[in-house]
Amino acid sequence: MRYIGWTFLIAFWVAVGAFLHYSLPQRDIVRIVRVFEERQDLNDWTRIFWSRPDEQSDGFINRDVQFIQTVRANGRPMVYRNEDTGWSWPPYFKFDTSNLFTEAADATSTRDNPEWYVITHYGWRNEFLTIFPNAISLRQVEGPDASKGIPWVNIIILTTIAAIFYAIWVRWRRFRRARIDPRIEEIQDSWEAAGDAVSQRRGRIRRWLDTWRSK
Amino acid sequence: MALARLFLIFFVVLTVIYVSLSFYSRARARDRLEAEWDAGDKPGPREAYVKHGLADYDGSLRRKLILGVYIVPTLLVCLIIYLVNFA
Repeated sequence: MRYIGWTFLIAFWVAVGAFLHYSLPQRDIVRIVRVFEERQDLNDWTRIFWSRPDEQSDGFINRDVQFIQTVRANGRPMVYRNEDTGWSWPPYFKFDTSNLFTEAADATSTRDNPEWYVITHYGWRNEFLTIFPNAISLRQVEGPDASKGIPWVNIIILTTIAAIFYAIWVRWRRFRRARIDPRIEEIQDSWEAAGDAVSQRRGRIRRWLDTWRSK
Repeated sequence: MALARLFLIFFVVLTVIYVSLSFYSRARARDRLEAEWDAGDKPGPREAYVKHGLADYDGSLRRKLILGVYIVPTLLVCLIIYLVNFA
């Protein structure tokens, strides 16, 4: 029973953590190599890792998606998709995909003469599922070691979520101590009282039986 | 349509919060008035005092501030749209 409880608890928190890690914005320092557009098949379950820029896109089994090819400051490649999030989840309300595509095209640079950009994005890159993080915005920085800035959005959102969970937890504990624990004790007490009564009665019967024994 | 769906979800969730908060706030106001009367020195019967106090509460700024439940998220969405697309 204890293991089942722990399994549920761990699974729940891993799911919450994964959800937040996917949805919250992150920043990478990159050099943009190329921008391109490619037809993508979107009719399997990995559809959830692509956006719904407009109503028609729900019905399409494939459509063109814009990509931004980059090399990160540590020399490893990273490819971002560039899609409107529109009015759907996650709530970035991104509508300027074409503008960002233009900015990114304008920001390409070579290895010999690199220009570095901070790219804000959400989502995951996974080679097996062929999924890509969605780029949100670009900002030029001095070099590959430049600061990415303080992640105020993440600080505010995570603090708020922690506060909400804490508030619920405190109230639940208080409720349990006031309402549920006394009930359980009551049940336990009456159970023990019943047990005592039974053993007392048995003692009396035994004493009575003993009177018939030959001494 | 996606916008309509967003509006609908926002409206339902925020209305639940708004109604709960209104009831909570009014109950708090009533408790406060009753405690004030019980502390003594207040004219008239208890019922009348509480009723009058609640009528004041109904016209108060505190009650109108609960409308912020609708206004704050809307402003937040506008702010996000501006920051993501135009800043």
